[in-house]
Amino acid sequence: MLDNILDFLTSAESLLFLVFAMVVISGAILMLSYTKVVHMVVALAFTFLGLAALYVMLDAEFVAFVQVLIYAGAVSILMIFGIMMTRHDKQEEEPRRPWHNGLLLGGSVALFGILFFAIQSANFESGTLDAGVDNTKAIGEQLFTRHVIPFELMSVLLTVTFIGAIILAKREED
Amino acid sequence: MEPATQGVTFGSVVIEAILGVLTLLIVLGFVTYAIYFERKVIGWMQGRPGPNRVGPFGLLQTVADVLKLLIKEDTIPKKADRPLFILAPALTFVPAFTVLATIPYTSKWIPADLNVGLLYYVALSSISTMGILLGGWASNNKYALLGGMRSTAQMISYEVPLVISVVGVVLMSGSLNLSTIVEGQAGYFWNWNFLPQILGFGIFVIAAVSELNRTPFDLPEAESELVAGYHVEYSGFRFAFFMLSEYVYMYAIAGLTTVLFLGGWHAPFPFLDFIPGIIWFVLKFCLVIFTLYWLRATMPRIRIDQLMSLGWKVLLPLSLVNVFITAVVMEFMK
Repeated sequence: MLDNILDFLTSAESLLFLVFAMVVISGAILMLSYTKVVHMVVALAFTFLGLAALYVMLDAEFVAFVQVLIYAGAVSILMIFGIMMTRHDKQEEEPRRPWHNGLLLGGSVALFGILFFAIQSANFESGTLDAGVDNTKAIGEQLFTRHVIPFELMSVLLTVTFIGAIILAKREED
Repeated sequence: MEPATQGVTFGSVVIEAILGVLTLLIVLGFVTYAIYFERKVIGWMQGRPGPNRVGPFGLLQTVADVLKLLIKEDTIPKKADRPLFILAPALTFVPAFTVLATIPYTSKWIPADLNVGLLYYVALSSISTMGILLGGWASNNKYALLGGMRSTAQMISYEVPLVISVVGVVLMSGSLNLSTIVEGQAGYFWNWNFLPQILGFGIFVIAAVSELNRTPFDLPEAESELVAGYHVEYSGFRFAFFMLSEYVYMYAIAGLTTVLFLGGWHAPFPFLDFIPGIIWFVLKFCLVIFTLYWLRATMPRIRIDQLMSLGWKVLLPLSLVNVFITAVVMEFMK
């Protein structure tokens, strides 16, 4: 039953996957457990970067680097900017609940057991993925032919938000 | 193109790591002498000798400066946010170094022939901005915070025209792959993108100087009003990291300008092809670097309100117009 785990650990590609998956998961966990807001955002940025690395492993380079550009870059910086405007010496205080940790441990172990059993007994069909030579071009072509209406609607929506933000800021100024 | 991660073995990881260290050494050598020549060239332009004491012609001046930084006491302010204060220089430097991976030096010597090379550059360089912002914030000093805010605001505002000005080049070559972009500029020098894309080239150069936080756009380090910008509280090797990433970005931008607009490894005339491509690349690269020094020695610093209105009201509309004109002309030429 555990042979596949050994197989997994002897291939360099899977080890890379493991490293990036760990980055994603630990970023997410740290984000929940940190008490300072800026630290949370940085942990979140690491999660985004790990996800981008996983996309690269799936041969989706375009999605990966757009992920880095938008989420790890723009969204994180926007959040940090927002936080800087607030008081940053405040920390979250958790109320003490002694039962909590025991229950959490039990729940997590049970969840892990169920997932582990389900994945071990599942049968994944193997096959090779043909990502195409130039999948960036393919994405562009799809966006501007089949999905052109949703794409343009999104751009209208973004313009509306953009103008709305300017109007709100202007009103405050007057 | 090979899929990104298929064929990754332990051996290939080791080889890549060795290549990475070699690149790092080359870049460190470049930075050492880029700083030396910057001081020399600006010195000559201002009628003074520049560094001339340490070593022959002052060649070891930068080495001495770096040594001084490395043996300096590493101070961390008591009220600083310690983990972020330590993380910020690394977060600034690592993306600066990794963006170098996609720059094609010759048709054979391409560290990473990435399908979306240009996007890779833009995406990773936005992470450095976060490092600078965090460095300014974690110092817990109002001047550092102001410097960090200014830096970030400037880098974000100028990244938009920088990226849009490159869209014209992408339209003309039909690819985001940097080596394909260079191949599209073969032939005489008027086939290089800087002539057909003269508007895009101008916007790119202005926005790039601003991205690099260099004069006339070096407001984040305006010493007369901000002490030293986001790195006031940094000393020793953490400060060296910030300086290093600035110069590594200069290397990256010079490489990118060469590749996107100046024809990469191509000779200006086809009969000069017997000279190896790497020499042409280095010549163009040095020309870009020299222009940056020249600008720094010539221009005064501009004001913060002028800076923002130049970025948003002049460069951004112009770069959009450039994309539009390129698209229309390409449609008619088809």
